[in-house]
Amino acid sequence: MKIYEAKNYLAARPNRTTLFLRSFLPWQMIRFILINIRMTVMIAKSHGRQVEKEK
Amino acid sequence: MKIVIIGAGISGHTAALVLRQKLSKEHDVIVVSPNKMWNWIPSNIWVGVGQMSSSDVTFEIAPIYKKQGIIFHQAKCTEIYPEGLNQSKPFIKVQSTSSDQFYDIECDYIVNATGPKLNFAATPGLGPHGGHTQSVCTVEHAVKTSAALDILVEEMKRGHNKTLVVGTGHGMCTCEGAAFEYIFNLEFELRRRGVRDKARIIFLTNEAELGDFGVGGLNLEMGGFITPSKTLAESLFVERGVDWILGAHVHKIDEKTLEYETLDGERSTLSYDFAMLLPPFTGVPLKVFDQSGVDVSTQIFNAGGFMKVDADYTVKTYENWLPEDWPKTYQTRFKNMFAIGIAFAPPHQISKPMKSKNGTVIAPAPPRTGMPSAIMGRTVAQSIVDMVNTDSKQPTYQSSMADLGAACVASAGFSMLNGSAVSMTMYPIVPDFKKYPGVGRSLTHTTGEIGLSGHWIKKLLHYAFIYKAKALPFWWIIPE
Repeated sequence: MKIYEAKNYLAARPNRTTLFLRSFLPWQMIRFILINIRMTVMIAKSHGRQVEKEK
Repeated sequence: MKIVIIGAGISGHTAALVLRQKLSKEHDVIVVSPNKMWNWIPSNIWVGVGQMSSSDVTFEIAPIYKKQGIIFHQAKCTEIYPEGLNQSKPFIKVQSTSSDQFYDIECDYIVNATGPKLNFAATPGLGPHGGHTQSVCTVEHAVKTSAALDILVEEMKRGHNKTLVVGTGHGMCTCEGAAFEYIFNLEFELRRRGVRDKARIIFLTNEAELGDFGVGGLNLEMGGFITPSKTLAESLFVERGVDWILGAHVHKIDEKTLEYETLDGERSTLSYDFAMLLPPFTGVPLKVFDQSGVDVSTQIFNAGGFMKVDADYTVKTYENWLPEDWPKTYQTRFKNMFAIGIAFAPPHQISKPMKSKNGTVIAPAPPRTGMPSAIMGRTVAQSIVDMVNTDSKQPTYQSSMADLGAACVASAGFSMLNGSAVSMTMYPIVPDFKKYPGVGRSLTHTTGEIGLSGHWIKKLLHYAFIYKAKALPFWWIIPE
């Protein structure tokens, strides 16, 4: 199987705005809060559950 | 009662801390581990590119256990007698790492949390111990990798072009995410050191598609489209100028070349100057005996040496795999013995298993490290607490990977101002195509994005989890 060469491969590429926003501090601070909330929801959903105890 | 935990990695350490926190002091919590140091393995990536030192990701474990009232044996477990032997109490046989002496530890409950054996021997020439490739699986490996990278960069600064290969060293590897993190940290580091133009970087993976990560890939809702992780991963590889080879099983490696086979059956060789290839995992060698002294290891462990638990191990085709196949309580055939983290035997892969035209199996093994490992540790600890307190044999807590989600942050560059990471959540880990037709996972809770904030989160998690592992005040507030 061939080696896929990045320079010749047609893939979705980020535009200038996307690249800028990825390191734009005010936007990234907002993303930081939102991602943390998203992860907290995930963690809350994923901590196992108690089943009915053996009588 | 005495609860012995074999292994002090993420799952075993979590189980030990939770048991000690929730059980009264009349019960003993005992940890057996051959390692003196505790290692926050996810940050080994940063050690491997020289951005962290070994002391940033490790600490001595015995003082933590002493402070917590956990009995610690620095020793290697070799045999388990979960029913005891000839009417004796259950016990495990261990070998001290300092004196090589064998001795027994009596117990009532056993938690197998040994983690993996790094099976470098599966591919001739693989690994830093007598092989030709680097690794970041342990902190010692990562330190060596960083030193090898420094030498390479010096040569590049003198004008030499180099080929760097990162990925999986065998068709049955897991933890492709770690290789993904390392390659983008490496690419970032070479840019930072001003030698990126001298490097050809190649990702060599057993995944059939980029973005598979051993979980069959993800589908994400973004911009009005349901987008596969393949599209996003390819975008990042193209953006960073990293080439890739898919569906590869490495047959052998010598000092300058590696020979690999891909899913189309073709065998090729690749010349390299630096390679960081992950090994496949097997279970840590252990033997289990019943009460009459009969070795029942072949019934307790699967062919890979992982311990069978309450999963459905019936051999099925991919089309017939079900979320219900996955274990819930991690209890073994012996009601007082559990296996968690990498030590438990998964019922099958998550990604679709593939074979090359020559019949070589090239299939990512299911990842079960990090967050799921720690949750399993907590779940089993909570069950044991209830079992001890009620004298029951029935576990009271469940955490199937088909019900659990995971939050993953894959680093793609170490810098507080210019770094980045891919922040992902997926729910559930094991896809459920009945519940989520066509996509397998919740589109609300399966997300991913790349940005600087991901690096901040990764760094925050590094400090938070080390704080928690050191059992510092209010450690239990930090979730797994």
